[in-house]
Amino acid sequence: MAGLELLSDQGYRVDGRRAGELRKIQARMGVFAQADGSAYIEQGNTKALAVVYGPHEIRGSRARALPDRALVNCQYSSATFSTGERKRRPHGDRKSCEMGLQLRQTFEAAILTQLHPRSQIDIYVQVLQADGGTYAACVNAATLAVMDAGIPMRDFVCACSAGFVDGTALADLSHVEEAAGGPQLALALLPASGQIALLEMDARLHEDHLEPVLEAAARAARDVHTLLDRVVRQHVREASVLLGD
Amino acid sequence: MLQKREKVLLLRTFHGRTLRIVREHYLRPSVPCHSPLCPQPAACRNDGKLLTSDVTHYVIPDWKVVQDYLEILEFPELKGIIFMQTACQAVQHQRGRRQYNKLRNLLKDARHDSILFANEFQQHCYLPRERGESMEKWQTRSIYNAAVWYYHHCQDRMPVIMVTEDEEAIQQYGSETEGVFVISFKNYLDSFWPDLKAAHELCDSILQSRRERENESQESRGKEYPEHLPLEVLEAGIKSGRYIQGILNVNKHRAQMEAFVRLQGASSKDSDLVSDILIHGMKARNRSIHGDVVAAELLPKDEWKGRTTALGESDNEDKASGESPSEPMPTGRVVGILQKNWRDYVVTFPSKEEVQSQGKNAQKILVTPWDYRIPKIRISTQQAEALQMCKMPVNTPENPWKVSPEEERERKDLRKTHLVFSIDPKGCEDVDDTLSVRTLNNGNLELGVHIADVTHFVAPNSYIDTEARTRATTYYLADRRYDMLPSILSADLCSLLGGVDRYAVSVMWELDATSYEVKKVWYGRTIIRSTYKLFYEAAQELLDGNFSVIEDIPEFKDLDEKSRQAKLEELVWAIGKLTDIARHVRAKRDRCGALELEGVEVRVQLDEQKNIHDLIPKEPLEVHETVAECMILANHWVAKKIWESFPHQALLRQHPPPHQEFFSELRECAKAKGFSIDTRSNKTLAESLDKANDPSDPIVNRLLRSMATQAMSNALYFSTGSCAEEEFRHYGLALDKYTHFTSPIRRYSDIVVHRLLLAAISKDKKMEIKENLFSNKELEELCRHINNRNRAAQHSQKQSTELFQCMYFKDRDPETEERCISDGVIYSIRTNGVLVFIPRFGIKGAAYLKNKDGLVISCGPDSRSEWQPGSLQRFQNKITSTTTRGDSVTFHLFDHVTVRISVQASRCHSDTIRLEIISNKPYMIPNTELSHQNPLLLKSELVKEVTKSVEEAQLAQEVKVETIQEEYQEYCQTKGRSLYLLLEEIKDLALLDVSNDYGV
Repeated sequence: MAGLELLSDQGYRVDGRRAGELRKIQARMGVFAQADGSAYIEQGNTKALAVVYGPHEIRGSRARALPDRALVNCQYSSATFSTGERKRRPHGDRKSCEMGLQLRQTFEAAILTQLHPRSQIDIYVQVLQADGGTYAACVNAATLAVMDAGIPMRDFVCACSAGFVDGTALADLSHVEEAAGGPQLALALLPASGQIALLEMDARLHEDHLEPVLEAAARAARDVHTLLDRVVRQHVREASVLLGD
Repeated sequence: MLQKREKVLLLRTFHGRTLRIVREHYLRPSVPCHSPLCPQPAACRNDGKLLTSDVTHYVIPDWKVVQDYLEILEFPELKGIIFMQTACQAVQHQRGRRQYNKLRNLLKDARHDSILFANEFQQHCYLPRERGESMEKWQTRSIYNAAVWYYHHCQDRMPVIMVTEDEEAIQQYGSETEGVFVISFKNYLDSFWPDLKAAHELCDSILQSRRERENESQESRGKEYPEHLPLEVLEAGIKSGRYIQGILNVNKHRAQMEAFVRLQGASSKDSDLVSDILIHGMKARNRSIHGDVVAAELLPKDEWKGRTTALGESDNEDKASGESPSEPMPTGRVVGILQKNWRDYVVTFPSKEEVQSQGKNAQKILVTPWDYRIPKIRISTQQAEALQMCKMPVNTPENPWKVSPEEERERKDLRKTHLVFSIDPKGCEDVDDTLSVRTLNNGNLELGVHIADVTHFVAPNSYIDTEARTRATTYYLADRRYDMLPSILSADLCSLLGGVDRYAVSVMWELDATSYEVKKVWYGRTIIRSTYKLFYEAAQELLDGNFSVIEDIPEFKDLDEKSRQAKLEELVWAIGKLTDIARHVRAKRDRCGALELEGVEVRVQLDEQKNIHDLIPKEPLEVHETVAECMILANHWVAKKIWESFPHQALLRQHPPPHQEFFSELRECAKAKGFSIDTRSNKTLAESLDKANDPSDPIVNRLLRSMATQAMSNALYFSTGSCAEEEFRHYGLALDKYTHFTSPIRRYSDIVVHRLLLAAISKDKKMEIKENLFSNKELEELCRHINNRNRAAQHSQKQSTELFQCMYFKDRDPETEERCISDGVIYSIRTNGVLVFIPRFGIKGAAYLKNKDGLVISCGPDSRSEWQPGSLQRFQNKITSTTTRGDSVTFHLFDHVTVRISVQASRCHSDTIRLEIISNKPYMIPNTELSHQNPLLLKSELVKEVTKSVEEAQLAQEVKVETIQEEYQEYCQTKGRSLYLLLEEIKDLALLDVSNDYGV
């Protein structure tokens, strides 16, 4: 078989979506009682769990404390059973470290860290099943978890990936599309202001095409925002019912 | 709105383990059904192609039918075909890229009534595969289910027929749903298309060949050839350097014996092989055919053979042994085929008697392909394909056509201000280009090139546009032409005829009055009225100051003496000025190294009854060059403009610099005459070619130039986004950017360039770009298509000329007829003969010095030649024939000899011209019409690119109103089926085929 047709002449992708359509997103907040905040998200078959502790005092060496803002500590791990072939190590490899740094960068931009000087916020994200767009799923899960923890943020951080196939930008790539090797771009957006918290791409893409791809990713991120917003409102409604208001 | 399902796939990994993969699968409530009967077209979002409404039923082929009978489904008669996505995917996965692309092109083709229904993404049509269900069963079940849904979707108003090869499915589903019929494909053809004979025959052959294939795989294979090695072994072998990968090229003249493997990029680097690898004999070739990508193994050095330099006898017996081949070269044998080059071939059936003699298996026939390089093919059952020309709806504007007021406002009106005229061949109908020149108030000159505004009439993606795109160019055969655009456009509305208002796209330069430097340039849409429609000869006469020709110019007829004089002066000034400007521009290009090349061209002159009257070599005039130069200038400036506006998606034309090694023959030949040719750059080549002129024999220079032309690569269209800027250069014209803009009536590339230019103009005006331009990728694909069509057009043109050359000599008795004897020049030496060029008819051919009986030529004292026993001896630049009696005769390169021309008829292949040397002295031409021409005026191959319309239109005019009956008699062709029709059909077949080749 000579190459998979990622986008058919009729405009369908391998899994039946059209170019701009997202995978199905399902999310829940407050999945663990022990943590300060937690959330679970499914984006298609990519499943991620995020847990937030803090803000609390700096653990470990005091020297790391920042005088004017809170320290954001992110850790990413991916379950050994998350991919088709079983992984050896769940975390600590190069890719996980990189992902952790990217998450940290994203959330330092979104969390109002100056409100909690000399303290620490821990975000742990674990991917349970990886089917493309793990970074996006992690960011979206972590956003919900941070909100669940009640940590003030500038805005939601909504992330989505986008790729480029046959002159068309595809939103929210699945694993099959990622594996085909085309350019892929990950974008984390603060939807209200339209500011970009993180933009990452490590493949070659002609500069003329960057704009449409970026546009597709931003639109997808806004769509993600609508969905997450709905989840948050639903969660708050449920919580207030429990409180008996 | 989307529903999510999961598909679980079990894949086998490279290590042999099974891998469980879960893939998502999204379903939606509505996918486009492309049916005019759709109750909710808005929900279905039926944009694009719809099925026609005048069908009695819809056909849904099962996956197996799509795989096996796609050729039949391609028949334009079959309408209302719905390809289910499941079936298409099966083709993609099981039949490979080529077949799938064929299907895709079929679906894209607006003329073919078929659509794709994405059943697997429709929530009611999708059926998950059940546990334990075979893939085939599931596919059939899905397709049936989708067919039922489709039937209900169209509110049961259109019966749906599912055709399948699966007997069980017919049993099971046949009567399950009313209105959805399940029958076999054969059955379907029988009951619905009993009259479509071609389809039936094709179906039968496919069935039979399939059965045979099954039988064959059971039987043991023939042992004549060694088995091909499996792909893994080949790949490993290529990597390790044991085998060499390359494309097999069969020698056209010695198709049975010689083939070469041309190395492909990477492999030639690491091995120290420089030349091609010779594959000697059919056995070593091991069933691979011309164009296959093969893996070859080198033979040990002592088995290496040399390239045969003898002229091949068309009978092809292996008797090269007696002659000394050239020095040994790497020789190898084919061990496996990596990629087949199978495509559709034109073949000839054996005659009746031969069929009978072939004997026992009457249903298998050995046919001979037209192309010598392809071996004979065994096919099953006889069939006659009758493909119809498709009808093309032409949206013609109402006649009489007038300039509309809106257009008048938008366009610059040149009708009153400019003297516009055209110079074309006599009687030309499709005038693409007109010229104007005038002095501006500030003393500067204004030169204008006005090109027919075809894009005004041909909307992008309209039917005409689609058809023009597939045709890509107008085909000019020796006696007729085959238009790209319908004649209402090409000969009337777009044609810039004299005395009528026409739309044009103009390029106007403001030139300095003395130095002719370009000061300003303006591009835009205009309205013009051409004042004079001149022909070349008249323009040349005017230029030479010979005013007697004005009698032939109709525009001057009705004028009184005084105004005629004034008008004439005006026109003569304009032509003179144009020529002057053209000389300057040309000189400037010459300084950069523009080449003047030589192509042998003849024009077939036909008389009233379409008898071939004469073959006339073309006569070049200076006005030809003037017009050509103006066109080159316009093309060049337009190329610059569109490239600046659209740096990544402009269509330009490049002419890559030639490979130096191809020039070796030219250098050798020139050395024989004592000239040295410097081929390092186009400038040095042009200069040394100018110097290589033998004053006593102008033919030498022409031959050298034509050799140089042959050594060059072809100019190609390309998209600027896919090439680096250095590669844009046009080697022959010595320009950094070049495109085709000036003949939109007969070239599709020019239409694209027109659209680009107009978009560039609106971009400059900050207006919205209306035209939806091609992206780089689309343009690249289009360029490849146009290049292919152009190559095909050139090829057919050449063959048509050859055909007419043959026909010209066919009815003449070579022994008696004066005309069959002519002067020829030897331009290449082989071991058993020489290659001769006949300037009078533009024929190149081989003349043997040794005949089949082994006798050699000898010339007596009266220089008449006769056959005598003897031997030949070949040297670098001469060949000597010595008879046993001791007489000897020597032929040198560039010697003039007298040859007799005859035709060798062939049943399976095209007739060929045979040359026979009858004297070693030059032939005294009774009428010395063309023996001495000014070599500078000889028309160059590259200028021809621009002025091609010239002679072609002339030809077209000569052939206008002839009854077909006469043609058949004259050409001795079979009744009812002319060669032309045949070629048309081949073209029709080729359309699909060529477009298929994109993906590969």
